[in-house]
Amino acid sequence: MNKGSFTFFVGPSVFIMLALMTLPLLASIVLGLHFITFRNLDEPLWVGLRNYQEVLGDPEFWDSLEFTILFIIAAVPLRIVLGLMFALLLDQVTRFRGLFIAAALVPFVMTPVVGTLIFRDMFDRGGPYWYWIQQLFDYRMFMNSTTVPILIVFHSIWTATPFAMIVLFAGLQTLPQESLEAARVDGATWLRQLWHIAIPHLRSLFVFIALISIMDSYRVFDSVFVLTQQNPIYDAETIMYYNFQVALSFGRLGKANAMSVLTVLGIFVVLIPFLVITYRDQVEES
Amino acid sequence: MTQTKSPVARIIIYVVLALFTIYNILPFGWTIMNSVKLPKDANSRTPRFIFSPTGQNYADLWLNASPEEFAPYGLALILIIFVLILIGFSAKRIPAPNSLVYMGCIFAGVIVAIGLPRVVNTAEFYDYLINSVIVTVGTLCVSLSIGALAGYGLARFRHVVSVYILVIALAFRSLPSLALVLPFYYLGQLSGLYDTHILLIFCLVAVNQPFTIWMLRSFFMEIPREIEEAAMIDGAGRLRSFVSVIVPIMWPGIITTGLFTLLLAYNDFLLARILTQINWTLPVGIAQFTGGEDPGHVTLAAAASVSTTLPILVVIIFFQKYLIRGLASGAVKG
Repeated sequence: MNKGSFTFFVGPSVFIMLALMTLPLLASIVLGLHFITFRNLDEPLWVGLRNYQEVLGDPEFWDSLEFTILFIIAAVPLRIVLGLMFALLLDQVTRFRGLFIAAALVPFVMTPVVGTLIFRDMFDRGGPYWYWIQQLFDYRMFMNSTTVPILIVFHSIWTATPFAMIVLFAGLQTLPQESLEAARVDGATWLRQLWHIAIPHLRSLFVFIALISIMDSYRVFDSVFVLTQQNPIYDAETIMYYNFQVALSFGRLGKANAMSVLTVLGIFVVLIPFLVITYRDQVEES
Repeated sequence: MTQTKSPVARIIIYVVLALFTIYNILPFGWTIMNSVKLPKDANSRTPRFIFSPTGQNYADLWLNASPEEFAPYGLALILIIFVLILIGFSAKRIPAPNSLVYMGCIFAGVIVAIGLPRVVNTAEFYDYLINSVIVTVGTLCVSLSIGALAGYGLARFRHVVSVYILVIALAFRSLPSLALVLPFYYLGQLSGLYDTHILLIFCLVAVNQPFTIWMLRSFFMEIPREIEEAAMIDGAGRLRSFVSVIVPIMWPGIITTGLFTLLLAYNDFLLARILTQINWTLPVGIAQFTGGEDPGHVTLAAAASVSTTLPILVVIIFFQKYLIRGLASGAVKG
């Protein structure tokens, strides 16, 4: 393929990304240096780095960052471990496999807002989970600043475990058959096969799932919006949610843009090693 | 790996998987039940699995008119949908080009969907559905067409420029979308495009584009170059050979990518919430059910949840194997 036709093929897509992603990002930086509310949309006031100062000195910002990081630490390893567990179980059966996978897709494809709504209903008064918890543990659950964050983590595991499961299950189907055969001949137990063949083989998939999960958890918004019902008493604000509030509830567009710039910088810390690896892979490939 | 032979272990495995399956679908099943309950059943202190069902919640959700008023139109609607599906399935028997038949069906469907609110008094939820469909279909068309061109170009042009584009796209894909949307919100407010479908569609296309080109590229990489080279030797240009040779064999890849795009566009809440004021899509419309103490609230929310989820579940059931293949290929998830 020559340069001319490459430009023709890739042009529209690159143009869209330049116009609708690069420019907004740059605009974010510029807007972050202004004082903008709904009243002075057309004449922003230049304030320099004042917005950044305000964000960094805002205890709520640090609280939301702390909660986001705790959320990532709680949710990501659980997703991977549970995903691996169910992938291994799925690998053990042949009958009904399709059915198990199809059912697992339901929470995964469901609109997150709806999924959270119905997940909450299960734990609300009169819901099945609420009732069973009450029957089994004699605990009457209600929404407070302990249970709501736990539900946010639970919900994220409910929706994301199927993803990890399907990816890892697909990985298990591509294990090197010769090594497995050799292991079987040597009489290696299932546990040893898992430890010495499967886990090393799946390593790149673990990294992939972890990265996707970290990024998705970092920007979790929908479930927080629904579960907290926009009520601050639950003390479960993630960084995206607080950013959204600063923009739309408080109407501080300039400050919100400054905050988004900071969140973008934050994600790049995780991202850069991964980008470097991808770059090397692709250069080698081409 | 070796499957265990021990019957006890096998039973335990099946039981655990069965429980996992119930855990996955129980909340939705419970919501379906709630959606046909009377408020007094839904608000009971102990969960009720047995009750006398009612369709009232769906009527309240979709109509401002009484169900009796709607009944004849409802029957006509079901009839029209049935006829359209029938025509679609028997398209091969009709002495006209298939594509014309399909286009005709889609056109008729659009006319009915637009015409319905003029004959019966539909509720706002109907408008949300129409908005969701417009935004989702618009995003799909724009995103897939430019994405397929770019994915193909990136798969075939082995040059460091391709690598740069891919790596930058990957970086874009991981950005929190709020960072992109707030400037859009600001520009939309200034330019008057705020609360229009077109702004939301292009915003979703942009947010989606990095993922789309990565995934489509990985599918194009699997197609041997010889195929289009043969077509080009026969005198077809790059674009001709792409449209008439590559795209037809790429349908599985395009459908897979399309499914993820569809999920992202249909399920999106944050962008739609920020970029619309009254032209809400379904997820934004449904979020209004998050609070409130009104006893009819739970059942109405359940009906709304089921109404929102069913279209997506139907699509996924039809195209399940593409979705699973997309996930399994380890391509970047939406």
